[in-house]
Amino acid sequence: MVPLVFLLPLAAAALLPALFGARPRLAWYAALAVALATTVAAAVVAGALPAAGELRYAVGGWAAPLGIELRFDRIAAVTVAFGAVTALAITFSRTLTDSVPRPVLFYTLVLVNLGGLNGFALAADLFNLFVFMELLSVSAYALVAATRQPGAALAAIKYLLPGAVSSLLVLFAIGVLFALTGSLNMADVGARLAGVEAPAAVALALGALTVGFLVKAALFPLHFWLPDAHSAAPGPVSALLSALVVKVGVLGLLRTFELFGAAAGPGLLRLETLLTVLGAVAVVAGAVAAVVQHELKRMLAYSTVSNIGYIVLGLGLATTASVAGSIAHVFYHGLTKAGLFLAAAALVDRTGLHDIDDLRGLGHRMPWSATALSAGMIAVAGVPPTAGFVGKWQIALGALEGGRPLPVTVLLVTVVLGGALLALAYGIRVINALFFRAPTHHRVVAAREAPLSMLVPLVVLIGLALSAGLSGAAVIEFVRPVAEAFVGR
Amino acid sequence: MGAELFDLRPALAPLVSAICAGLVMLVGYRPGWRAGLALAAPVLKFGVVWSMLPGALAGTTYRISFGEVLPGLAFAFRVDALGLFFALVSSTLWIAATVYALAYMRGRPGQQRFFGFFALCVSTTVGIAFAENLMTLFVFYELLTVCTYPLLMHDGGLRVRRAGRRYLVYTLSGGALILAGMLLVWHLAGTLSLAGNGILSGVDSRPALLAVFVMLTAGFGVKAAIMPLHAWLPSAMVAPVPVSALLHAVAVVKAGAFGLLRVIYNVFGVDLMRELGYAQVLGAVAGATIILASIVALRQQRLKPLLAWSTISQLSYIVLAASLLTPAAAVAAIIHLANQAFAKITLFFAVGAIERGTGKTRIDELDGIGYRMPLVMGAFTVASLSFIGVPLLAGFITKWYLSLGALEAGAGGYVALLAVSALLNAMYWLPILYRAFFRRPESPAPVRPVSLMMRLPTLVCAIYVVILGIGAEAPAMPFVLAESAVRFAFGMHGVAP
Repeated sequence: MVPLVFLLPLAAAALLPALFGARPRLAWYAALAVALATTVAAAVVAGALPAAGELRYAVGGWAAPLGIELRFDRIAAVTVAFGAVTALAITFSRTLTDSVPRPVLFYTLVLVNLGGLNGFALAADLFNLFVFMELLSVSAYALVAATRQPGAALAAIKYLLPGAVSSLLVLFAIGVLFALTGSLNMADVGARLAGVEAPAAVALALGALTVGFLVKAALFPLHFWLPDAHSAAPGPVSALLSALVVKVGVLGLLRTFELFGAAAGPGLLRLETLLTVLGAVAVVAGAVAAVVQHELKRMLAYSTVSNIGYIVLGLGLATTASVAGSIAHVFYHGLTKAGLFLAAAALVDRTGLHDIDDLRGLGHRMPWSATALSAGMIAVAGVPPTAGFVGKWQIALGALEGGRPLPVTVLLVTVVLGGALLALAYGIRVINALFFRAPTHHRVVAAREAPLSMLVPLVVLIGLALSAGLSGAAVIEFVRPVAEAFVGR
Repeated sequence: MGAELFDLRPALAPLVSAICAGLVMLVGYRPGWRAGLALAAPVLKFGVVWSMLPGALAGTTYRISFGEVLPGLAFAFRVDALGLFFALVSSTLWIAATVYALAYMRGRPGQQRFFGFFALCVSTTVGIAFAENLMTLFVFYELLTVCTYPLLMHDGGLRVRRAGRRYLVYTLSGGALILAGMLLVWHLAGTLSLAGNGILSGVDSRPALLAVFVMLTAGFGVKAAIMPLHAWLPSAMVAPVPVSALLHAVAVVKAGAFGLLRVIYNVFGVDLMRELGYAQVLGAVAGATIILASIVALRQQRLKPLLAWSTISQLSYIVLAASLLTPAAAVAAIIHLANQAFAKITLFFAVGAIERGTGKTRIDELDGIGYRMPLVMGAFTVASLSFIGVPLLAGFITKWYLSLGALEAGAGGYVALLAVSALLNAMYWLPILYRAFFRRPESPAPVRPVSLMMRLPTLVCAIYVVILGIGAEAPAMPFVLAESAVRFAFGMHGVAP
């Protein structure tokens, strides 16, 4: 069952253009079915986790460290969310055939992306980690440019260049690690690193991996590529990028810490301080940038920058509570942001208007989408018991628990709460514009509610975002072993 | 204490009105459905809440718990005496307010949204009342902010938007403070439960306790409109009258006051509060608010701002009473939740009816109005006399217990303060009554007939003010609940104070 989680979408992606090249509607059904099947496979495997602890699978029967190994641990359980969000995004893009020139190719790329994401989460050796990362990155670059509108290609290039640099950094680090240890299997590399007597080389590899993944995660100030890419991409692609693809950087970071756990104790400690500082800065910077945006999708993109800040901050604080909160936030933020981008895409695509001020009064024309967007804004701010709450609460708790000097603790808690308040501020701006202002644009007056294929996925996602916080304890308990391992290095 | 019973009703009470609200949003474009559902929300809830009264009087505590949001922190409801008292008050008033609103809003645009959110606010208020822990309380507390915002913004326009922005800035900042305080409580005590009387009693870090106290009282103090956190309330008077009446004079501000009571009696506990001595500062602030707000009220020329400032003053009675930390004062704090609510809503209803009937909103335009709208002005008279503290009316009971409590606490100065406050109240209510009944209008303007659906709730609430004043000790009155809440908070058994 384990390899199915990434083989299924990749195999389907290879077949899709061949089978349904000229029949986009059939391709849509097929892509949706594959994404759903992938989700089910991931869910079945994840369901077995609490009993098994961790599932390892040797590809072709060749045992690690020589053979290729897959590993489904609690972090990899996020593949369930990857599959589900992708399936909903595909549902949403049913009518996208009007704006995308080659829809079948589009669905194919989405499936490649899903395969890359899942493969990345499952890879137990560095080489495959890199391959899957490239797979999902390249498909993401292409997806950004999928509409072929002016601006989209430029945004894709802007996305591609930092992405390629970060990939190079990761590849470089993998090379160094291979030179040092002679192995690529992560568990093996980790064990051998402890015996390596070359602190500079180890630090170099650690630094290169961290920076590489932080670029992928778009942590401020390495976020510069994100707003363009995420706002220029077609709606469902923005949802995938913002909800899932940036999380790859976070997963990579988790894997990096795991890898170097035994080897570079004091170095990691300094890295944690760095992550705390950068994370805190990103929370505030992202939120402030979001508040001053005029375009709806850019605002949501900056909100992602802020939320990545939360996740990195939680990892940097390195207490069980905060790390568990961060990992939970990876999942919860994915749900919320996917819903938000889909809702925004519905509003923006139906009217062709991008500015929040132009969208005034749209709440009365497109009540479902606008209400979903408004509710999602409240969820992303972290009002309890919505999805945003659990992670932020845990991260704030981690700030209190660390035993830091009082001013630092106060500052950190203020940052966490302040970020949430700013998130409410930009959320309310949108709500006000949609519901409490008179329309200023003629296209708003003529707008009609989005079709069902768009409404269903966004309502499902926002519904989950609003209520998922109620399951917070279960999620926190689920990821607690990961957090404990992370802290107990 | 009696038994704790697992029961569906604590969750059902907020749920029924939430469902009605959802239906209003869906099918409320038809006036008949809209009115029926909007009315069904408070009536059904009222039934559910009342059905728990006999059990609660017998000492039973109902509770129900849902999924855990965080390990050890469930989304849970629990009906104790204090919560049930608050829920009874708000659900009784909501029926009157909905009937009134149906008539008041007739013919205005956007009624579907209005009544949808109006009904949703019932849910959230009961959710606040029945919350088992601070987190659940906070959820509904913030939800109340969210749900009142569209109501406040109903009429649109620049002034309204400004008021709305101010309202959000104040209440959301307050919310953030509460959240920070909650976080610290969780960190210190490992629980947020409101079922005990003092979850922080085992904590001995003074700076941390001070931080919690400041954050929680300031946070809840925003909605309770303690000076200097009150500025949102007068500006929120731009909303339609039923909204001002119910939300900005009753539900929202009462949620803040109720939150403060929870903080003092359930989070800190009376013993710890006495030991820490922070309550004296809070009492002083509340005392200053009582006087200052009344002085500002004296200078108002319009009726609605006058009512707003009077609300600010009256709310601090509750805060002052709670901060005295004596049983008698605690009774005053709890029953004033009801006394102020019924009297103030009567006044708002009357003002709305006058506005509808004559178009008058200024005090100096009210000459002779008492003869043209006798029913409405009669109710107005009863309620305003209650605020002055005339015996046999609800306000007197509060003042009586509050004075007793102040003497008990050895703070006789507050008795004098109450006397001054009564005087100030008389100074701004009596001139209105004088104009209404003893001055002839210069040019009698025609009075449009005001719907019975507006006059009847006004009258009913005024009658309640009288009943609360003379029949408070009657067996079926919720006064007993207040007493049992006080007994629980002070760890007393046996007779009432």
